[in-house]
Amino acid sequence: MINFIFRRVLYGFLVVCGVVIILFWLFYVLPGDPVEAVMGGKGDAKTRQNVARELGLDQPIYTQFLYYVNDLSPIAIHELSADNYKKYNYLPIIPTQYSLVLKLPYLGRSYQSQRRVGEVIWEDIEGTIVLALTAMLFATLIGVGIGIVAALRVNTWVDYTLVSLSVVGISIPSFVLAILVSMFFGFYLSEYTGLKVTGSLWDMNPFTGDKELRLKNLILPAFTLALRPLSIIVQLTRSAMLEVLSQDYIRTARAKGVPFHKIILKHALKNALNPVVTAVSGWLASLMAGAFFIEYVFGWKGLGRTTIEAVGQRDLPLVMGATIVIACIFVVINIVVDILYALIDPRVRLE
Amino acid sequence: MLEIKNLHITFETEKETVLAVQDLNLRLQKGETISIVGESGSGKSVTALAIMGLLRGNKKCQMTGEIWFESRQFGRVDLTKLSKDDLRKIQGAEIGMIFQEPMTSLNPVYTCGNQVAEAILSHENITREMAQARVIELFKKVKLPDPLRKYNAYPHELSGGQKQRVMIAMALACQPSLIIADEPTTALDVTVQKAILEVLEGLRYDHDTAVIFITHDLGVVAEIADDVLVMYKGRVVEQDDALNIFDNPQHPYTKGLLACRPRLDIKMRTLPTVSDFMELNKEGEIVEKNRQTLGETLLYNFISEEEIEEHNEALAKQKPILTVKNLKTYFPIKEGLFRKTVGYFNAVDDVTFEVYKGETIGLVGESGCGKTTLGRTILRLVEPTAGDIHFNGKHINALNKTEMREMRREMQIIFQDPYSSLNPRMTIGQAIIEPMQIHKLLPTYAHCKEWAMELLEKVNLEPDHFYRYPHEFSGGQRQRICIARTLAVKPKLIIADESVSALDVSVQAQVLNLLNDLKAEFQLTYIFISHDLSVVKFMADRIIVMNRGKIEEIDYANEIYESQKTPYTRRLINAIPRGSSNDILKARQRREERNKK
Repeated sequence: MINFIFRRVLYGFLVVCGVVIILFWLFYVLPGDPVEAVMGGKGDAKTRQNVARELGLDQPIYTQFLYYVNDLSPIAIHELSADNYKKYNYLPIIPTQYSLVLKLPYLGRSYQSQRRVGEVIWEDIEGTIVLALTAMLFATLIGVGIGIVAALRVNTWVDYTLVSLSVVGISIPSFVLAILVSMFFGFYLSEYTGLKVTGSLWDMNPFTGDKELRLKNLILPAFTLALRPLSIIVQLTRSAMLEVLSQDYIRTARAKGVPFHKIILKHALKNALNPVVTAVSGWLASLMAGAFFIEYVFGWKGLGRTTIEAVGQRDLPLVMGATIVIACIFVVINIVVDILYALIDPRVRLE
Repeated sequence: MLEIKNLHITFETEKETVLAVQDLNLRLQKGETISIVGESGSGKSVTALAIMGLLRGNKKCQMTGEIWFESRQFGRVDLTKLSKDDLRKIQGAEIGMIFQEPMTSLNPVYTCGNQVAEAILSHENITREMAQARVIELFKKVKLPDPLRKYNAYPHELSGGQKQRVMIAMALACQPSLIIADEPTTALDVTVQKAILEVLEGLRYDHDTAVIFITHDLGVVAEIADDVLVMYKGRVVEQDDALNIFDNPQHPYTKGLLACRPRLDIKMRTLPTVSDFMELNKEGEIVEKNRQTLGETLLYNFISEEEIEEHNEALAKQKPILTVKNLKTYFPIKEGLFRKTVGYFNAVDDVTFEVYKGETIGLVGESGCGKTTLGRTILRLVEPTAGDIHFNGKHINALNKTEMREMRREMQIIFQDPYSSLNPRMTIGQAIIEPMQIHKLLPTYAHCKEWAMELLEKVNLEPDHFYRYPHEFSGGQRQRICIARTLAVKPKLIIADESVSALDVSVQAQVLNLLNDLKAEFQLTYIFISHDLSVVKFMADRIIVMNRGKIEEIDYANEIYESQKTPYTRRLINAIPRGSSNDILKARQRREERNKK
């Protein structure tokens, strides 16, 4: 088990390294001018030169790559100086002039806002994680429940209705649904629901200026985001349950007189969960990258919106930072899911 | 204690209504063992499910008749009329059931102990600890080795025989007065089968448990059944005392069933089949063919010992077609962080033998002894670790990939499971033609097709089966299709790996006869791998007994069966169920003696 986790973490690290290398090539070697992006088409040649020097663009590519990796690595070598300390916020291990230091990965500064990329992402990612987790939790619980009901009532009107509804749920584009939901529940019915069209996890209190937690704002975007994975989970659970229910060991359980609800929840469900776990993990990972339409329509502060805006403005450090963070999240979710498989099914050996 | 009156079961399918059980009557006393015998589709398993109440909730199933059961909780009740909740109180508590497939009948995600304990906890109000103690007692009773560790083991960590013991423990958990065993030993080795039969027999002495034993193989039940009920296509064709059934079978189907088991005492030229004794007329009724007794059938049909000896001598003069020398196949065992090889599993360990042209060599041993790996290594489907294989003068190990592929035309294999070894999306014709095209055997498609149709006829199928898909065929037919596909490339050596193990005895006899006919016609050499020693006895000229990857002994078939050199072989041979009336009488005497005590 520990061996397995260790090996997976190692592989995960290699994946992240691969992402870092590919990103560097994509953004530094491909045509396009970062200076242009920073200046926004303004400024004279001298200013441009200064900006290029500041970004390290006057150096050869391999030097740029070394700097880039050195910036990213939590254990790095930096010259100890007040400027560098301000930039990296490091913790020196050996206090010489060029010292081995510990620090948080430095992702650069946004071309646009000049803020640290790490800070920008950190601010946004909370909203994204809360939204994604809530949506997937809702989708999984309700989806599995409905899937079981459909499987138990297979080929009756209940089953047909649930399956048809889930097909509708899969086919509605998320932006259409987002607009419909926000209109109905956030606007027309807002008197009854008490919900607003837009809002984030943290809102500013107009009187005190403090940040306040607004969990209520989570309901509509989470519901909208959940509907599609929910529909897919319904179908996956239904078909997996149908297959499992025809297995010999279900017959064995019936033959020993196990009560019906226990046959379904204990014997059948645990065996049927594998495809559901696969689907949930895939969805969760992609939702962690942000759900642009939902965030846009509901005015939710999240990673998706920030990333898309950064792409539009050619804000390279921000895009690169977001990509690396998302890659890390994917790796972590995959490791967790592999462990989860083994917990559900003892035949999966963590070897 | 159990009485079934006029049981009638039909199943609704898309096309028609199938009659599964027709007018079945049965009485079972306390402590009695009754056996229901018949081929697949005869309605024997359906009857078991009906008694157990497991057909309830199946909307396609219609059931009439009465099943009276002497219940400890409710007195004498009709199980078909009992409410769902009351029935649940009987299921597992008063009637226990053992299923055919121990591999799939246990839930893979819970420990064996947990599953047996669940049977107790579903019916009795006791603590989990008490249940656990009882389960460990049960595991001891069914002779499961290391019961404490097996309690926490998952089903996939156990062998087939051990899983079946867990199933028996589960059926026994609440000390039921009736146990229904549905083909409990079909998938197991003879030695394991013997042990399981002993456990089941022990039950009737210790607890006076009644047993309904369902099987397709009459031989298995000879020694343990009091009464036998023979079913064919949903109807009971014969119902009598076991001794009478074996000594003096009345119905042609029973005669056929008895005759088609390969015998250990004499070697038959061809195996009699059920169709030698009866046929179905247009209305689907059974008509008896050329009225003859079992004895007569055997008399005209066996090979004398002189003949066998002559045949053996002629074989020995032949050149070996296959020579295997010091063959080793090791599988590495990997462990640790960097998957380092810490040891080897010696699947085939230093094996040397020769196969003569035109010979059938039998390869027997318990499961896990390496017989399948040996077969696959010879074809290089598994790469050997060391050793030499010479086929027809060619050094097989030295061939490169292309040459090996060429070579496979001459060496073919027939697999065990006819259900999964045919691609469901290919017609029978495509399946048979594919190997011909790969080896560019015939110039045009038309030639291939002609040859494929001829092959279908040779394996007793219709030429227009060419256009059909595998799902339209029964297990026996599919195995014949596999044989036709194997023959398509005109091989010299065929390895048959448990090729008849998945088939009913009656179908098995047909396929075995077919294999022998084809051998004569195409001058084939067989390596016949099987765990069923009576089948090997019928097929093989010489037999290799394998144990833990090594050859235990190798000799002419009749020698091995008459005098065994090693205790392992002796144990194997002694475990074969004989099913002669002599054995039945002995078993009955044993039973009476024990009852007196």
